[in-house]
Amino acid sequence: MQMTFSPQANRRAVIWNKIKTFFSKPQNTILVIMAVICTFTTFAPIVAIVEDTLKIHPGTIDANLTGRSSGFTIVNYTDLFTSTIAKQNLWNPLLNTLILAVGSCVVSILYGGLFAFLVTRTNLRFKKYLSAIFIFPYIMPQWTLATVWKNMFDSVAVTGNRDGLLAGLFGVTMPQWWCAGMFPSILVLGLHYAPFAYILIGGIFRNMDANLEEAATILNTPKWKIMTHVTLPLIRPAILSTILLVFGSAMGSYPVPHFLGLTTLSTRYIEINDRRAGQASILAVIMMLLGIGIMYFNQRSLKSRKSYTTVTGKSGQTSVINLGKVGKIVIAIILVLITFFTSIFPIISFAFETFLPNPGDYSFLKTFNTDNLTTKWWTTSENVSENGMYGQKGMLFNEMIWRGFGGTMLVSVACALAAGVIGTLIGYAVSKKRRSKLAGYVNSVAFLPYLMPSIAVSIAFFKLFSSGINLFNTYWLLIIVGTVKYIPFASRSSLNSMLQLSGEIEEAAIIQDIPWRKRMTRIIVPIQKSSIVSGFLLPFMTCLRELSLFMLLCGQGLILSTQLDYFDEMGLYAFSSGINLILIVTILICNALVNKITGASLDKGIGG
Amino acid sequence: MKKLLALVLVALMVIPFVLSACSSTPKKEQSEVQKIIEQAQGMSLEELAKKAIEESKGKTFYGVGNSSRGKSALPVFIEYLQTIDSTYTLEFDWQQPKNNKIFDQLTAESKKTVGTYAMTLIQDGNQIESKMVQTGILDTFIPKEWAEAKGVSADKYEGYLPLQTLNKVFMFNSVGTKTFDNCWDFVAKDAHGQFMDIDSEIVGKNFLYMLTKDEYSKYLKDAFDKLTAEEKAYFQPTIDALAETAKDFGLGENGKYALAWIKLWVGSYNKVEDDGPICQNLVDASAVDQFGLLVYSKLRSIEESDTKSKNNVKVAAYEDNYEGIGGYGYCHYLFVTDNSPLPWTACAFIAYMTCTQKGFEAWGKDMGGYSSNPKVAKENEELHNHAKGGYVDGENKFPVKNDRGYDWWVGDGKLVLEDPAYCAKVAFTVGSWIETLDKYTPAADK
Repeated sequence: MQMTFSPQANRRAVIWNKIKTFFSKPQNTILVIMAVICTFTTFAPIVAIVEDTLKIHPGTIDANLTGRSSGFTIVNYTDLFTSTIAKQNLWNPLLNTLILAVGSCVVSILYGGLFAFLVTRTNLRFKKYLSAIFIFPYIMPQWTLATVWKNMFDSVAVTGNRDGLLAGLFGVTMPQWWCAGMFPSILVLGLHYAPFAYILIGGIFRNMDANLEEAATILNTPKWKIMTHVTLPLIRPAILSTILLVFGSAMGSYPVPHFLGLTTLSTRYIEINDRRAGQASILAVIMMLLGIGIMYFNQRSLKSRKSYTTVTGKSGQTSVINLGKVGKIVIAIILVLITFFTSIFPIISFAFETFLPNPGDYSFLKTFNTDNLTTKWWTTSENVSENGMYGQKGMLFNEMIWRGFGGTMLVSVACALAAGVIGTLIGYAVSKKRRSKLAGYVNSVAFLPYLMPSIAVSIAFFKLFSSGINLFNTYWLLIIVGTVKYIPFASRSSLNSMLQLSGEIEEAAIIQDIPWRKRMTRIIVPIQKSSIVSGFLLPFMTCLRELSLFMLLCGQGLILSTQLDYFDEMGLYAFSSGINLILIVTILICNALVNKITGASLDKGIGG
Repeated sequence: MKKLLALVLVALMVIPFVLSACSSTPKKEQSEVQKIIEQAQGMSLEELAKKAIEESKGKTFYGVGNSSRGKSALPVFIEYLQTIDSTYTLEFDWQQPKNNKIFDQLTAESKKTVGTYAMTLIQDGNQIESKMVQTGILDTFIPKEWAEAKGVSADKYEGYLPLQTLNKVFMFNSVGTKTFDNCWDFVAKDAHGQFMDIDSEIVGKNFLYMLTKDEYSKYLKDAFDKLTAEEKAYFQPTIDALAETAKDFGLGENGKYALAWIKLWVGSYNKVEDDGPICQNLVDASAVDQFGLLVYSKLRSIEESDTKSKNNVKVAAYEDNYEGIGGYGYCHYLFVTDNSPLPWTACAFIAYMTCTQKGFEAWGKDMGGYSSNPKVAKENEELHNHAKGGYVDGENKFPVKNDRGYDWWVGDGKLVLEDPAYCAKVAFTVGSWIETLDKYTPAADK
């Protein structure tokens, strides 16, 4: 039988074969699927929030100005940018936001970088302890340091309200700029994000080729010149990475500026949302645009970073600077003291707070009378409203708190698994097709949510999922948002590790006709286990104490961080402190368990 | 990257307009919940209870409110239902969103065919009207017995159903020697009262709106007249400067006094996140000369210690020579959500809270909250004797806790009462003006 093929049928067959060939490679299939998923999860919320900026909201200023209760208008834009209160609703918060973000970057880089230098390049004592304790502020919810700051430095004489510990016990009052506003906000966020700098800069210090500095020393180059011309350029990529990570995160922080009385775009969003819902959405869009701008900056810095790869490769030699017999101990003690106040003191303070009769009532410290202590916040087993319990049972018997704990664990585990698997697959596929446009697109789009401020992402998803498919106040919504936000942790971690992996290893398995699933589970994942586990661990840890991302998406009962915020707002500091303790202990146990089982740990993986 | 940016920008500009085509139109037909409410309004509490048992046995009841005490009221309600059916069980969850989030939450929930929350206990009449009632998100249910106690019929009653009126009162720390005998003292030079931020708790903004109503601006004018010449001289320029603005807003002859007080208050109050912490601050021995405007009942949360005591504070309006407004009264309203998953149970719970002392007990056991049902209010006072709330073993140990009652507060106490209609009327005149005022930041002061 003779078969004839028309040119058209031939062309179709060729295209079909091309498609089949394309999808026969798992990395291509992964990229296409991820491109679709990431496009939707990244752009749909953005579209929803932009739509909201143009909507008329009943009972708000846009309805009043247009005389309509529904429909679309640009009045929100004109009013926000040009009204007499544009300065207080837009320009001042924007300026504060930028200063806060830049300041936090500076503090985190200086503190984290210096710490990294001392730990990795000197003969400092207590390195292991210092390295572990340094990441505590990142583990704790970011506003915990802010509340500790207020409890410490508030005073009737300066901030009004009541005396904090320093004023109450020692009569010491600090100036206003120290107690509230920009300075403490920068310091608290800088300390919170300093572990980013520590891990990223420390990683380079640890692997840096010391021959370069030694060569400069032999050539009689002054120390400051070695630092500015050799050392700093070497760590420049890590500094840039830190800036990108900290800037985006600090810019969208809500709780820290809120507690410390600083008006930023995120706090202003919450403040004006009741009367100016559409204008509040514009603030969120501005935060998102800043995030996109950072991403653009990131792309450019990534390009320039390529030129550093030749000098950041591993060297067999590392030089250790001798701090001297006294210096190595004195500096270590100073660092132990600093980390005590940033890491240990908050925990002690939280524990102490849960035994005070009234929130912030430090009578015991003044009198040492044990009548001024109580266990009611833990052991009250009945629903009472007297004595400040506000109808809450003690923490040991409080169903809401333990249900919230269960919810937090559920969301964190689900986000870690989903973000970890998706991120690992993205990292794998992008590393395999690193020169293709599709890989570049997926890599960028998957990373974009991380650079957007948490509160802006939260607002966007709130707008998207509070109409049509309504997932408001469900674990599903928290898991989706958490996954989208934390995929970059896993994708970056996975991409970096996959890039280190020679293609020959997988090629050998392909020649042996070993299926992709087996190649992944038996070869690739086991080799890069540590990095990949970090990609799961980071979303888990971050999710446990996340607030800005979830606060608009659910009621306060669903997870612990929203409960913590609720109790803090109510002034029930014993409960919020107790929840803080529960979260910190949970994170430490999980970190230790994962470290024991897989060898991965948080201080080895921050920043991916 | 440039393509990605371009894509983002195009998406931002175009898709909203595409989506606009899908926007929904408001419904006009009576909803299922409204039909149930119509029937429920003709039923007694016991009949409603039977319907509730039928509907919700073994299920979970979700409520949301501005008061945390809904959580305490629900178990008592369940006990009541169990007196009718001993096998009745009901799980429950009560949430109290902060920062005005309750309106966002209810709006988001309203998009579901069947919502999560069965009912709500909500404050801020202004926002309730424009965002919740006009949009059909919340429905009013008037219990038969409540209407009878008020001398009206349920179907004829107009307005929302208030559970109670709460009062925020001026209190000051009395450890020092400073006294506050006139409401203008709270806005005097270098005075910084502690107050929940008006952008955080919107009823605070309503309080300021209400000051411009004729009867309350007269209170301010009368109090102003009692000031010394020196004190008057400090306030007079501000009052005069706002005379034109008051006219522009169509306020009465004393409107300028109200605007001046508002301007000085917004420019001086020290914002605190909640009334609980304000109370904790004021009762501290270190808070010498501090004062605040806070929910009266927060005093219940103070445990006596070496540094904190209820005797460290005084209620300004209780002082013999005090002049002017004593505080602000606002209502907690009860509504059934229009997509309530348990409408009968919601109606029964609402009826139980508003028509029985036991139902109101969660609020009634403390001072500063007054049932809207005169019968319940009377029974509650007979039971708890809040007028002598500060007595312990027959001794007047905490005079500040001796609540003089609703009638005293709205009369002698010169409580400024929230009127949702008036608030809505001035929200975009006086309200927009308030937004332009500079708020106090301690940094600028030191």
